[in-house]
Amino acid sequence: MKKLVSLLLALIMVLSCSFALAEADGKLTIWTWDPTFNIAAMKTAAEMYNAEHPEVEIVIEEIQSTDIEQKISTAVTGGDMSVLPDIYLNQDNSFQRSLYNFPEAMLDLTGKFDFANFGAGKLAYSMLDGKNYGVPFDAGTVVGAYRTDYLAEAGYTIEDLTDITWTRFLEIGRDVKAKTGRPMLTGEAGAVDTVLIMLQSCGASMFNEDGSVNLVNNEPLKAVLDIYNTMVIEGIFVEVNSWDEFIGTLTNESCVGTIQGCWILGTILSQPNQAGKWAMTNIPALEGVENATHYSNNGGSSWAIVPGTDEELAIDFMQLYTNVEFYNTILPTTSAIATYAPAKEGSNYAAGNEFFNGEPIFATIVEYTAQVPSNITGTYYYDARDALATAKTNIINGGDITSELQTAEDTVNFTMGF
Amino acid sequence: MKRMKGKDYWKKHLSRGAIYVFLIVVSFISVFPLYWAFISAFNNTAEILGGRMLPSTHFVENFKNLIETQQVGRAMINSFATSILQTLMTLLVCSIAGYGFEIYHDKYKDIVMTILMLAMMVPFVAILVPMFQMFSKMKLLNTWVGFFLPNISTPFMIMFFRNSARNFPKDTIEAARIDGLNELQIFVRMFVPMMRPTYAAAATMTFMNAWNAYLWPKVIMSTSDSVTMPMLVSNTNTGYVIDFGVVMMAVTLCSLPTVVVFFLLQKQFTNAVAGSVK
Repeated sequence: MKKLVSLLLALIMVLSCSFALAEADGKLTIWTWDPTFNIAAMKTAAEMYNAEHPEVEIVIEEIQSTDIEQKISTAVTGGDMSVLPDIYLNQDNSFQRSLYNFPEAMLDLTGKFDFANFGAGKLAYSMLDGKNYGVPFDAGTVVGAYRTDYLAEAGYTIEDLTDITWTRFLEIGRDVKAKTGRPMLTGEAGAVDTVLIMLQSCGASMFNEDGSVNLVNNEPLKAVLDIYNTMVIEGIFVEVNSWDEFIGTLTNESCVGTIQGCWILGTILSQPNQAGKWAMTNIPALEGVENATHYSNNGGSSWAIVPGTDEELAIDFMQLYTNVEFYNTILPTTSAIATYAPAKEGSNYAAGNEFFNGEPIFATIVEYTAQVPSNITGTYYYDARDALATAKTNIINGGDITSELQTAEDTVNFTMGF
Repeated sequence: MKRMKGKDYWKKHLSRGAIYVFLIVVSFISVFPLYWAFISAFNNTAEILGGRMLPSTHFVENFKNLIETQQVGRAMINSFATSILQTLMTLLVCSIAGYGFEIYHDKYKDIVMTILMLAMMVPFVAILVPMFQMFSKMKLLNTWVGFFLPNISTPFMIMFFRNSARNFPKDTIEAARIDGLNELQIFVRMFVPMMRPTYAAAATMTFMNAWNAYLWPKVIMSTSDSVTMPMLVSNTNTGYVIDFGVVMMAVTLCSLPTVVVFFLLQKQFTNAVAGSVK
């Protein structure tokens, strides 16, 4: 028995020595997800960087976004920063929460990186107290994408949906629904993506500047919920049960269009039988609301750098994210759209897209990005989102907007400890 | 009388019929997700989201897309290596422990056993950070030892072997001792062969747990080369554009080994859970 135990212990010791990873300097480790998008983009960046700096080893590890947060949080709480990567990707919507939960794992990039050519709306996600903590990557800029064949059936063109108000959108939606039997838009019943897209388009947020929750006295939000409610009740917007079903409404051609972050183009472009049937434009603006625009954002992410021995190298590497050629190279392979304004000069951005009848949609999106109003997310963004989703469902079922928003605000305040 | 008999006959058959209907419904609910995942590996995203229940022609395409974006071979090797190694070590350690607790029984061991049982109540997430600290100090982060060490000895498996050891005839041990066998020989030559169904059941459970392990491996391992099948499945189901055909292909590949292991050891598993010793 003793022999067996000692044999086992010896085995463990031998194994642990041989498998332990050595720590190397001058090596960049990157944590990110999605092999067809973020990972592909970083691989291109690594190749471009290695062409000039062949001595630098760049390792890209595939880890999901929630797992990245979990691992970093565990490492920081556990007090072992050595396991952290040099660069990692953060969803914009959870950037503030990460910044609050593990500030030790985010290098202050103010003055170390040129942020001049990125849109204010995008930068705001990764900023705290006027300091920058993230290098912006892909755009979540919202586009209105519609099927031109269905619009034509009802006697409309894409121009009729450009630079309009939501009131006009409702009129067109009713008409299209009556003539084609199809809803203009679809979305997930339990989610508030569309509501928040509309809210951000007029520069409003679920939170105030000081971080306090702002739902019940939020006039733009009430206007948004009113329009949303009307659309759902009249069948202009059909709510489906899950995200997968929502994607299904696009792939199965059962709706006229969608108002969503530009990454939805990836799904649209993956259906070759729909080529040439789509057109893209900006989104309707809210009427009678101050600062209302035709631009908004949903999704997107930014890179954070871990303070440590390789931080200088990491910053040098990330300079590629201000390189037009880099964005131009990754566009055809990943359809990751830059938030860096000069990127629209790239040849692939300026080229017409056959799927969208030869329109240079990518350059257009970069132009939209520069005009997106900023949004306050904060640590409790996802809690507020959940509370608002409940309120939205109750309002559609006949609940009163003000009292439902009051309940939602109370719920978030409770979570925040007020 | 005849009428009564007829009534009984119908009563018996109706109740049996009802049981069958119930069992068919329950079996359908259990098997359907597997069927659907397997069928969907043959379909593309539009077909899956459209609710197609029959196989289409995209099997090769899905497989090709999966191996192009993910390290399937590496994940399979890692999953098999860690699961088999963990299963062998768990069986060794826990059966010795369970045997010890039961055969060399005294009141102090009961106290230790109670503490072990209490440890079962603590959810894993609660000890995640302390465990991480411990493994970080022992320099076991990013090592395969760190990967399976916490799962080699589980209170549940020790309890499982202890309960089985209760059925092991004590007289045989006495007789063996008189015949001159030492304690290790008694364990290896008598206990292990007699407890084969228990080992089979424990192997099935451990293998499945090891194969499906996600949180701890994800926390302790950081390199893409240490990917396992469940991590691979989760990797396919991420990003802006999800190819559901690829996801379902990954799910199918990930489920197959556990299904095979279960079917191979099914008989012993049922026997051991029912508590019989052969």
